[in-house]
Amino acid sequence: MVALTINGYSYLVDAPPDTPLLWVIREELRLAGTKYGCGIGLCGSCTVHVNGEAVRSCMVQAGDVEGTSITTIEGLHYADSHPVQQAWVELQVPQCGYCQSGQIMQAAALIAANPAPSRDEIVEAMDGNLCRCATYSSIVGAVERAAQIAGSEA
Amino acid sequence: MSTKDTQLSRRDFIVRSMATGSGLALGIGFTTGAIPGARAATEAAEAFTPSIWFTMMPNGHTTVHIVKSEMGQHIGTALAQIVADELEVDWQHVTLDYPEGSAENFAVYGLAYTVNSGSVTTEFDRLSRSGAAGRIALVEAGTALLGTNVEDAVAANSRVTDSVSGRSIAYSEILSQTTIERRFAYPDDFRDIPRKDPADYKIIGQSMPAHDIPSKTNGSARYGIDVFIPNMAYGALVLPRARYGAKALSVDDTKAQSIPGYIQAVTVDDSFGKCTGWVVAIAETFPAAMNAAKALEVEWDAGPHGDVSLEGLLTEYRALQADPEMGAPWVDQGDVDGSLANADEVLEAEYTTDMVVHATMEPLNATVHRVGDTWHVHTGTQSTSFARMTLTAYLAHFLGQPAEEIKVVVHQRVLGGGFGGKQDYDEILAAAYCSHQVARPVKLIQTRETTFATSFPRTPTLHKLRGSIQGGAFTAMQHDIVCGYMGPRFSVGKAYGSDWLQLDADDGSGRDIDQWSIGGSDHWYTLANHRVRAINHDQTTWAVQASALRTVSNSYNYFVVESFLDEVAHRLGKDPLDLRLSMLTGEGGSRGIPNAGYEPGTGSDYYMDRLWISLPWPAENSWIPYESATVGGAKRLANVLRVAAGKAGYGKRMPKNHGMGLAVSAAEERQSPTWVAGVAEVAVDPESGEIDLQKLTIAMDMGIAINPVNAVAQIKGAALWGASQVLSERLTVKDGAFEQHNFDTYLPIRLSQVPEIDVEIVESGNHPSGVGEPSSTVVAPAVANAVFNAVGVRMRHMPITADAVKAAIQAT
Repeated sequence: MVALTINGYSYLVDAPPDTPLLWVIREELRLAGTKYGCGIGLCGSCTVHVNGEAVRSCMVQAGDVEGTSITTIEGLHYADSHPVQQAWVELQVPQCGYCQSGQIMQAAALIAANPAPSRDEIVEAMDGNLCRCATYSSIVGAVERAAQIAGSEA
Repeated sequence: MSTKDTQLSRRDFIVRSMATGSGLALGIGFTTGAIPGARAATEAAEAFTPSIWFTMMPNGHTTVHIVKSEMGQHIGTALAQIVADELEVDWQHVTLDYPEGSAENFAVYGLAYTVNSGSVTTEFDRLSRSGAAGRIALVEAGTALLGTNVEDAVAANSRVTDSVSGRSIAYSEILSQTTIERRFAYPDDFRDIPRKDPADYKIIGQSMPAHDIPSKTNGSARYGIDVFIPNMAYGALVLPRARYGAKALSVDDTKAQSIPGYIQAVTVDDSFGKCTGWVVAIAETFPAAMNAAKALEVEWDAGPHGDVSLEGLLTEYRALQADPEMGAPWVDQGDVDGSLANADEVLEAEYTTDMVVHATMEPLNATVHRVGDTWHVHTGTQSTSFARMTLTAYLAHFLGQPAEEIKVVVHQRVLGGGFGGKQDYDEILAAAYCSHQVARPVKLIQTRETTFATSFPRTPTLHKLRGSIQGGAFTAMQHDIVCGYMGPRFSVGKAYGSDWLQLDADDGSGRDIDQWSIGGSDHWYTLANHRVRAINHDQTTWAVQASALRTVSNSYNYFVVESFLDEVAHRLGKDPLDLRLSMLTGEGGSRGIPNAGYEPGTGSDYYMDRLWISLPWPAENSWIPYESATVGGAKRLANVLRVAAGKAGYGKRMPKNHGMGLAVSAAEERQSPTWVAGVAEVAVDPESGEIDLQKLTIAMDMGIAINPVNAVAQIKGAALWGASQVLSERLTVKDGAFEQHNFDTYLPIRLSQVPEIDVEIVESGNHPSGVGEPSSTVVAPAVANAVFNAVGVRMRHMPITADAVKAAIQAT
């Protein structure tokens, strides 16, 4: 049994503690917005927040994050309109969309920590997130736009 | 209503509203024959299936039925824009749906197959005409209700307005107050339906937000991998011994038995020629299935391709190329041999390209379960039709039942990337087999590692080029291509004994040419003497399971043709831009074909026509556009080349070790070109050989940009796909298996490697063509040409690695 707090809810999951958090989130709890891409932490599709920090859920064992606060794409904003989500829609970022939950979670963690990131800081923070459709040019602009929206909402 | 409705002509296109249990609905479509089971008027109304393309409800809300796959190109939104503009319906009232892949829907919608950047090219014509037909019917009915003249009526924003009196009536009011029965005789009336002048477009050409985007920002979009079925078990594949042809002789699951949740190991029936050597571990959870897959001890027979290596293939390619008897001509114009014999100089070059794979972000997966006698498939596929046909044939094979008794329904999901990589159906077959074995729903998820190991890459290729230079002019070109054709192994062909990808060579030799493996070599330059010899290496086809990958053969053939053209230009002492413009004259075969209507099944040269007529469904459900994207021919290519060169500042002075290179292409097929030119700007480090791709400039003429913001996004994404291929992606095969299994060794482009990209859309107003792929084809040759201009070395292998550049520099 593993006790997890995800998106503000408490869950008791019947899974071995060494199960990757990704599979607990996706297949046990069916919060399927978090995606499996590579399983070795190299693509970023599975990115979630643990205590506000972006982590690769495929590389974290569920038993190691008991007692933390975990956020998935489904819990990023109560109305799905976090500044990053707003910017992503406004700039029409997603193509196939499969990596975008991870991109959005990575970007949200970035602007929470750094409200006005430079281009270089955006590239550095987002470089671990693969996008096979190569929406990269849109992503940089959308992170800048998200920072702007977040600034105006603050 | 009358009983004549039971005898609908096979050659009518009808617009009709009719009584239903819930009120009125308007259906529009191309009739496919008498209404099944209809005996009397009222029953006819109930039995009538508003056949295709769109449905308008009595409240005026319009649903456009999309049988194309959503795999990142937002095709549903684009197709709906085409309908809505001609229909003059308020865009806010337009929604989409995606019919499932069933035998019933196949009879109504025809083939569901999303490939070749062909959706807009092939659908624009019928969707715009059917939208216009709907508008005409609504205007006629609306003016009848208003008591006004049709000639004075204007339709806009879901209303018909009399321009004399100013009185108007909403579409919803028309549908609520009357019934509509309007027929357009096919093909004459339908072809003559008046459509808008592009200058009057209100929805086409606007960047309408894509319908599928919000769900892709909040986790609610449902991909194949996100399917959950009650009582579902999970399957994980054991890494096979060889890509194709291996046999699992025995499976020892002693160690797996101790893994909690492990159910059993299934050796998939591979006598159908698919899923060869597949062993699947079934468990209650996916982590348990993965652990069990690793714990299974499998004894293998590596099979006939177990010793295949890349080096060995290339050696055999060279031997095939050296034999003049091999292969068949794909292009054969003028007197190539005479020109080469009389040349002042013959320029020779060998080019090679490596394998690359789709590596969609969503690993391959399928969920299959049986309810009663219906097999349900949940997955994201580029063809629900072929998925259904292939599984039906496979089930008939291993169940030993007649195919007619087997019912398969494919529930389409969003695709986490396609790129040509989701038109094989191995996961579906294996999941179905496993589901049958354990008598439970099975969700088979390929890990990233097994996704790579069982992928369908682009074939390795070898090219021998000879160019004749005579009197200071380029007079002839011989291009020999050796590769593994994809056609012979395509699953649908396998299932149906169809050779639909094979076109006979024109020389009467009967030796086949696979257009999709050779296309692009038939470039649009005016060159009196030009021959392309296509040579198939059959073992490649099978050993690596060669397949279609974004732009298919254009990706290697334009790399070769456009690089070689620069070689010729340099030898002639001409600027590559000038040489290209002098050859892009649009004469002879490079003229493009004029707009001309032709009928499905009449043997036109349109490649999709051959596809349609070679498969078993009603010809009425296929569609060949009346108009051609080739109009204007090579002159449009010259035009985009001038635009791209101008925007990039081609010819300006560059710093040392910097260079600019250009290229053009007309992917996807000869009959469906999108005209594109690209300029690459690079800086090369002569010490390390590292290429810094700094800027790409792309100019594209796709006729009409249905949704400009999305078109630019597609063009940029495809250009970066091309950059990724030329700079870093490489799949190799050794001992019959692929050597790269994850993103640690297979390296798609990342954000930090992205250059500045400048895109210019050149709208010529001609028949629209696709934007999802073509720009990728110009990047590799433009980069190769830029590297030459930067440091003076000609790179004839793709990808162009730093080590290769460094070695080439050192060799000079």
